[in-house]
Amino acid sequence: MIHMVLELKKFGKILNSRASGREAVLRARQIVNGEKDTSDDLILDFSEVGVVTPSFADEFISGLKKQYPHKKLNIRGAEGNKVLQDVLNLVEQKGVPS
Amino acid sequence: MHDWSTLGAGMDDLIDGFYRSSSGIVDGHTVDLSRVDVTHPWALGVSCLLLIERQQFTDKRVILPMDEGTLQYLKRMRFDERLKELGYMDAVDRFSSIAIEEREDLNVQEITHCRYVDEFNARLGRFERMFRNFGLNDQDAKRALVIFGELGNNVFDHNLGNWPTNFSGSIVIAQNYPSFKRIECAIGDAGVGFLGSLRAAFPELKDDIAAIQKGLKGYTGRIGEDRGNGLQTIQNWTIKDFHGILNIHSGGGLVQVDEQGIQTKEVMPVVGTIAQFVIYYT
Repeated sequence: MIHMVLELKKFGKILNSRASGREAVLRARQIVNGEKDTSDDLILDFSEVGVVTPSFADEFISGLKKQYPHKKLNIRGAEGNKVLQDVLNLVEQKGVPS
Repeated sequence: MHDWSTLGAGMDDLIDGFYRSSSGIVDGHTVDLSRVDVTHPWALGVSCLLLIERQQFTDKRVILPMDEGTLQYLKRMRFDERLKELGYMDAVDRFSSIAIEEREDLNVQEITHCRYVDEFNARLGRFERMFRNFGLNDQDAKRALVIFGELGNNVFDHNLGNWPTNFSGSIVIAQNYPSFKRIECAIGDAGVGFLGSLRAAFPELKDDIAAIQKGLKGYTGRIGEDRGNGLQTIQNWTIKDFHGILNIHSGGGLVQVDEQGIQTKEVMPVVGTIAQFVIYYT
C-alpha cells in the first residue's frame, strides 16, 4: 500500500498561529484529495521543521482529524526535537484540543 | 539605571519597583518617565502603552529621563522611533543630540512593532536567533520561541478587527542579563485586554485581575470555538522548564506567576495588555 505523506517543512520551518494552521488544513486537503489517496493512514512528516506552536498544531491536527475521521494520523520526523514532541503530545493528550 | 545586583533575588523586583515608583507618572495627557526606571523591557512596554493611549490628544506630552545614560539606552532601544510613530515630536528632538556607540548589541532586542500577524510570523526566525544570541541552546531557544509565538498569537487572535485605538499590533521588547543568565521578553498590545476579551463569554468577571486569572486557567473569550489553553502552556513551560516568571498586566490588574504561586495587584491602568516571560538558563 502507498502511504500518503504530508511534508510539513513545505508549509514552513516555523509553524505558528491558528490562521496558518487552518490554511495548512485547506492545502493539505487539496494535496490528499489530489492524490486520490485510498490508504487508511496519513503520515505527517515533521522532518526539518524547527518549531511548531500549540496553536498551529491544534488547528492543523484537529482540522485533519475532522476532515479525515477514518484515517489514522501518524507522526514522523519529530525525533531529536524534544520541543516539537512536547507540542505534539499536548495536542494528543487533549484529543481534539482547544 | 536599575541595580543589577538585585536581579534574580526575588519575585520580579524590577516590576515591583517600577510600580512602586510609578505614582504620578501619568498626569492627564502627560507621561512623566523621569520618575521611573525605564531601562528594562517591562517598563518600556508599559511606557509605550501609556503613550499610545494618549497619542490622539494634541496636548500630549512625554517627559524624558534626564540621565544621559538612560537616554542612550532608550535610543539604542529605538524608543525615539516609537515616539516619532506616535507623534511625540518634541521628545523626538531630544534624541537628535544623543550619541550611541553601537546599534548592534546582542543582549537587547529593540522595541519592535509588528502591525499585523503576518509581520509577526515573518520575524519569528529573527526572534529565534535572538534567543540563541542571548545564550539559549537549540532546544531552549525553540521552547522560548513557542512561548513567544503563543503570546504573539493571543495579541492578534483577540484583537483583530476590534482595536480600541488606531495603533494595532504587538510591541516586542527583550533583554538578556548574561551575568544572571536571565532573559526578559515582553509583548504588549493596545488591545481590548483580558477583561474585554473574556467578558462576552464570562459576564460574571468583576475586574481585570479576575479576567487574567480566568485566562491563565485556559478559558477563552472566543465564544463557540474550540480553542484556548495556549496561555496554560506558556505558563507551564515558563515556570517548569525555565523556572521563570510570567507577568501579565491588563487594564488595571497585574498578575505574576512563578514556582511559588500566583500574586495579584491592582496597578495603574493601561490600555490593552503587556505580558512578559522571564526565563533563566544555564
